[in-house]
Amino acid sequence: MPGKTASSPPRITKFTNCRIVKGPTLIEQDVWIDSFSGKILKDQEAFYGLQLSPDEVIDLGGRILAPGLIDVQLNGAQGFDFSVPQISKDEYDEGLRMVNKGLARTGVTSYLPTVVSSTPEVYWKVLPSLGPSGSSHRAEDGAESLGAHVEGPFISTGRNGVHKTEVLRAAATFDDIVACYGKENMIGFSKSVRMITAAPEVGDMLANISSIASNDIIYSIGHSDATYEQALTATQQGATMITHLFNAMRPFYHRNPGIFGLLGQNECRRPFYGVIADGIHLHPTSIRIAYNAYPDGLILVTDAMKLCGLPDGVYEWTNGERIIKTGARLTLEGSDKIAGSSATLIECINNFRRWSGASTAEALNAATAMPARLLGLQGIKGSLDSGADADLLVLDDTDDPFSGPTLSVRQVWKRGIKIYDTDKNATVAN
Amino acid sequence: MRLIIRDRPEQAAQYIAAYIVERINAFKPSEDRPFVLGLPTGSSPVPVYQELIAAYQRGAISFQHVVTFNMDEYVGLPREHPESYHSFMWKSFFSHVNVPPKNVNILNGNAKRLDEECRAYEARIQALGGIELFLGGVGSDGHIAFNEPGSSLVSRTRVKTLAYETRIANARFFGRNFDAVPRMALTVGVQTIMDAREVVIIATGATKARAIQQAVEGGLSHMCTLSCLQIHPRSMVVVDEDATLDLTVKTVKYFTGVERTLIQQDEMPTTPVEVPSSCWGEPMEGELTPDSMSSRIDSPKSRLTVRSATFPFAHN
Repeated sequence: MPGKTASSPPRITKFTNCRIVKGPTLIEQDVWIDSFSGKILKDQEAFYGLQLSPDEVIDLGGRILAPGLIDVQLNGAQGFDFSVPQISKDEYDEGLRMVNKGLARTGVTSYLPTVVSSTPEVYWKVLPSLGPSGSSHRAEDGAESLGAHVEGPFISTGRNGVHKTEVLRAAATFDDIVACYGKENMIGFSKSVRMITAAPEVGDMLANISSIASNDIIYSIGHSDATYEQALTATQQGATMITHLFNAMRPFYHRNPGIFGLLGQNECRRPFYGVIADGIHLHPTSIRIAYNAYPDGLILVTDAMKLCGLPDGVYEWTNGERIIKTGARLTLEGSDKIAGSSATLIECINNFRRWSGASTAEALNAATAMPARLLGLQGIKGSLDSGADADLLVLDDTDDPFSGPTLSVRQVWKRGIKIYDTDKNATVAN
Repeated sequence: MRLIIRDRPEQAAQYIAAYIVERINAFKPSEDRPFVLGLPTGSSPVPVYQELIAAYQRGAISFQHVVTFNMDEYVGLPREHPESYHSFMWKSFFSHVNVPPKNVNILNGNAKRLDEECRAYEARIQALGGIELFLGGVGSDGHIAFNEPGSSLVSRTRVKTLAYETRIANARFFGRNFDAVPRMALTVGVQTIMDAREVVIIATGATKARAIQQAVEGGLSHMCTLSCLQIHPRSMVVVDEDATLDLTVKTVKYFTGVERTLIQQDEMPTTPVEVPSSCWGEPMEGELTPDSMSSRIDSPKSRLTVRSATFPFAHN
């Protein structure tokens, strides 16, 4: 292990002279973290009660200290695709470790590894590796899985995006769903699935949403041709999320606003909604409209796939087709179908901040506090409150003459330990 | 008593902070021989803390070997309550400097036996050789710590019932809810403060003018407990212009004249440690004579034993 993580890190670190997110604004406040527990400390009680004082004081010179980013839709990175089983589980897990370390350097400290529509055999092979790493996760491992996001295969054949149509299915009963993903991945303490994207109108999905939700799995409406009424019923049944709003769904129509209409109604609790702010999937004004309709539900996601970070060129896609990467744009060869994104989450935050009029804190919340709320992890992830996991970013906020105000990741801390620093050599091994 | 008058409250705070920094550095505190500092809460001391923090940040002072004793704390208020004096001290001072947590002493208003807590507090002060410098503020009725009018001038650390006026005044910190203001507090006594080898008071703003007038020009009286400083061998009251509003011109001129003379006499007026104690007033008794730093180094404990014997532990 190179760098600082080899020697024992200081126990109590105090960040001072920094701006932190507090609701919709940034405020000046010190933050204390404990590398033993990996948590953010209640500083005053640590001092008076536990008689602790900082072993290290870090003056951030007015930089922003933010919670580590959470990406709830991410298909792969570093050339590794979560949806592609390897020869052995060991080999797959090795690829996963590489992704975790690479992701951490982009500021994403926890995420839902996302598996696109696949055959049951693929789910049975890959999902056991993708469950939440929980307390066994070490700081130097990098980003941490909070459970898998299975996007499909119970989706609309007409709204499939680049998902293979031949693997799409329809479920009649909850057992059909459990059988597809594998029982141990769906039920019980060791379950790996945290979120399911499915079309409510396909098969008898509407009748199964409540069973999914009661198993503590988030049901997200997506890849769907649902009408407004179907979407509303899905929400009443327990859907709490919309997968990449606007993309792969029936467009807004004034006589039937479709899934998008959920943001404007007040008949039931409005769901959270994922937004891909990469500049390709959505027009900035579409994001603005959604954000103005329901600011408290917007969650920034990348939907990035394995080509993220790789050079431009033509790459093999899972279904045998080929993908052309031109900058952040990924298209299916021979068409102009968008095949996922290769933007990083911090880039999406920057885009969103420039386009939406959201404050810096609000833009950061959309990739921290909001996804944590969706996942029921408020106060644990995506937060700088005492008791939360000490997953932190040190951010620079500069005014780029070309692209405007830009946040950039300077340091990444995972569970109270610094794992990446642009000022020094990266301590997360490649 | 010295009375130092500055135009603006922040100048008064700067004067005191510079003075304390000088005193601590001259003391050359060490692990075995820490500087024992008494500290107040309240709005007037806040700028003093800010100046001390600034001095710490520019490396002019370290609090590594400073032991602190706070004046008071509410009874029954949780330690982490935003209005507790623990919280005040944390936010205003301790979180910004390097005082080790083991060196910090604040009365525990949630102790099972409050009288035992008070006794132990006095014992801790004595075990450390007494308080070297007690920084304080003053209430508009002239109270020092929670020693409100009528408090015994020989009182020790004890439980006090808060005056009706004090609770009304403090209701603004408890969401304007009078009933939420604690009814009791633990506080060091007037005698605890008098035992400190030096007392420095900050008083700023017109609301303090009456108290300053009574303490400086009035007689020694339990109706203005700050007046106890008249019989302290080394005390200094630092005020802004507004706090002198009720003093006679003669008094103001006298004290500004004294300061001017001292400046002419000594290039370093902020180090009264170097100046003979007779400048500030006559010592009460031989044991309490403020002296040069060097003579204090030997066995401060034995001297304190004698001092406390002079003033038996008292409750009022």
